[in-house]
Amino acid sequence: MEKILELKNVSKSFGKVSVFRNIDLELYRGEILALVGENGAGKSTMMNLLGGVYPCGQYEGDIFVKGNVCRFRDANDSKTAGIEMIHQEISLHTELTVAENVLLGNWKESRGLIHWKNTYEEAEKYLKKVKLDVEPKTMAYNLSTSQQQLLSIAKALATNPQIVLFDEPTSALTETDADNLIGIIKDLSKNGISCIYISHKLEEVFALADRIAVLRDGNLISTYAKEKVNVDRIIEDMVGRKLEEMYPKRKLPIGEEALRVEGITIPHPYVKNKNLVEDVSFSVSKGEILGFSGLVGSGRSETMNAIFGSLKKSAGVVRLEGNPVQIRSAKEAIGMGIGMVTEDRKKTGIIAPMNLRENMTIASLDMVSSGAFINKKKEKSISGEFYEKLSVKANGIEDNIMNLSGGNQQKIVLSKWLMKDIKVLILDEPTRGVDVGAKVEIYNIITELAEKGIAVIMVSSELPELLGMCDRIIVLSRGRVTGNIGRDDFSQECIMRAATGVETWGI
Amino acid sequence: MEGKNTNFLRSALKAKEVGILLILVLLSVLIQLKNPIFFTFSNLMDMGRNTSYTLIIAIGMTFVLIAKGLDLSVGSLLAICGLISALGMQGGIPVVLSVLLGLLAGAAFGTFNALCIVKLKIPAMIATLGTMYMARGLVLVITKGQAVYPLPDSFTAFGKGSLLGIPNVVLLAVALAAIAHIVLTKTTYGRKVYAIGGNAETAGFAGINVAKITASVYVISGVMAALSGIMTAARMGSGQPSVGDGTEMTVITAVIIGGTSLNGGAGTMLGTILGALLMNVLSSGMNLVGVSAYWQKFVMGLIIIVAVGLDQYQRGKRRS
Repeated sequence: MEKILELKNVSKSFGKVSVFRNIDLELYRGEILALVGENGAGKSTMMNLLGGVYPCGQYEGDIFVKGNVCRFRDANDSKTAGIEMIHQEISLHTELTVAENVLLGNWKESRGLIHWKNTYEEAEKYLKKVKLDVEPKTMAYNLSTSQQQLLSIAKALATNPQIVLFDEPTSALTETDADNLIGIIKDLSKNGISCIYISHKLEEVFALADRIAVLRDGNLISTYAKEKVNVDRIIEDMVGRKLEEMYPKRKLPIGEEALRVEGITIPHPYVKNKNLVEDVSFSVSKGEILGFSGLVGSGRSETMNAIFGSLKKSAGVVRLEGNPVQIRSAKEAIGMGIGMVTEDRKKTGIIAPMNLRENMTIASLDMVSSGAFINKKKEKSISGEFYEKLSVKANGIEDNIMNLSGGNQQKIVLSKWLMKDIKVLILDEPTRGVDVGAKVEIYNIITELAEKGIAVIMVSSELPELLGMCDRIIVLSRGRVTGNIGRDDFSQECIMRAATGVETWGI
Repeated sequence: MEGKNTNFLRSALKAKEVGILLILVLLSVLIQLKNPIFFTFSNLMDMGRNTSYTLIIAIGMTFVLIAKGLDLSVGSLLAICGLISALGMQGGIPVVLSVLLGLLAGAAFGTFNALCIVKLKIPAMIATLGTMYMARGLVLVITKGQAVYPLPDSFTAFGKGSLLGIPNVVLLAVALAAIAHIVLTKTTYGRKVYAIGGNAETAGFAGINVAKITASVYVISGVMAALSGIMTAARMGSGQPSVGDGTEMTVITAVIIGGTSLNGGAGTMLGTILGALLMNVLSSGMNLVGVSAYWQKFVMGLIIIVAVGLDQYQRGKRRS
């Protein structure tokens, strides 16, 4: 087989911090190579290096494309060499049409003007390749997250690349959409396009890859042909130790009811007489971990936001320890002992210009101040305590949060609530974009919270995580509760049946 | 003890303000070499006085920019609030009450800005642009282009006066800057201003009343603009209709040169002081050295590019 890409003895460091060392890696024509490793292992940096983000001269060693040494000065050089990148965070021009996005900058022209008919036709060609069934004239902002991800791929294909780099393309997708995407990537490889695929989801990796390479702490630990390796082995290589138990679930006595929600209805923000969430009721008890499953658009996050007071509901009652409460803002929710880790860490979880200490105490300023003045000593000691306790990997509590990996950022976001005296903690996708090692740490934290008698609500798109961690799972489908499943009856199948609205369970 | 000292030195050298301080020192030395009048007490006090009118507004603007806002109305508010105080005095209202009236007017205009931004969701730039024109229009309607004078002696005496040789306005500006520094760095309110500027959504989910804090910075900005306007009227002995025209740009420039980011969430009062000083040293220095007035604007623009460019470069270096 033809060697299409080769890295020889490549090392990259930022100042004194080495990201990876002496990497030798090959990619063959039409092959899918999965690159796995914990956050901070150096995967994304390696992708960025191949994508020309870190130009030649900022790394050591050589990159060869089809046997020729390449010295990329910028992303354009890399594109010219036939390399395209699909980023974890979808970056599209949402105010443009689908077709304009696909052919961005290469619109069909005639006499200096854009020839729209040809542009739409050309775009359609690439939309078909990714099985994206939308009108080329649709505005990109009308597309769902999964459709946008497919659109990014169509856009990448429009330059006829030979190598496509995927950096966790499914992290924002539900399982069904992810499966669809995997099919599309397989098609690409059948057409002779080589792919490097980064993912934390090992099931995906095994479903997709021809070979699997494991990075740990900047070293290439191992490379396997998929047939010759199993999940346990890969995880061991990734974390560098035996992984005894992924989910530290402990059977706990379940206490009194902490939170009860009755008949919550949330109207659609734009469409009249349509509800995003309709008549949703459930309860969660002290020490219980209640899972929330459902496909994208099922109204999980909206329900949580309504409980937390950040989204308006048109009907419904929230009871806290039996008493009906009015929650009109996040401030009131927090005042009543409810905490929430939101779905989108970058957008609503962290404050980028702030350091770890400031991020951790932002919801607890009352606790670390006397009167109007912040007590720096107290603030430092409390944030330092949780920094140690959650073994955050960073240069101390004064480090900027943007220097941290996803998993460590998530620990900081969690600590925001851990330092408060809360009764109910809502976790919306708590392990999204988090590597295996940090995931286990987060599961441990969640278990500990339940042991302390906190009622935990855990919304997740990853079924194994819900099955592993929860006492009970509520399934939503198109804004309604379609399942209320106890741990003894857990199975992927019954959840998926309820989530797709095929049948209801336990209600 | 020694270790502590070197630590202090090291962290002082690492501070973001060092770059602009160096430019300021270098510039001062150059001007002094060309014209020894520069480092005389009277010239320094003159520059201090001129800087102070800018600095007082820049204090409010620092809060606004840290909160990721923008206030273009300050120049017009300076004019109308100074005018309102002056009219009050002419109408026989006691000096202290007239001053309070002017400050209240500043707060009212600030509140108006805040309501437009928070309640009507008008982008800050547009809302304050509207207020800028409306306030300037009101000034012209009221004065018909004529200056309002004379003003009571006790008022003008304060405006022109000094304590131990230091002009009153300098003392006032320094005191306010010191208070603002403490508010920004030591209080929960200050932390919340940084938080809503850094990421308003996250701040909201953390239980911060984003609308309230956003509104407050515009009120602060309005009051500061009013104070500067009142001090200007006191110094000139009259309420002038054209005063403060273009001041908003000078002030925003000073704050940005001082390292406050237009992206919100970052900025310091020390930086703003240095930024305001630099602007003033530059313009008065160019006069002393004999740079033509025509070239002065060009140099000012160049300095903005260089100062912010250096800051961005440093940030980039710190990141990698």
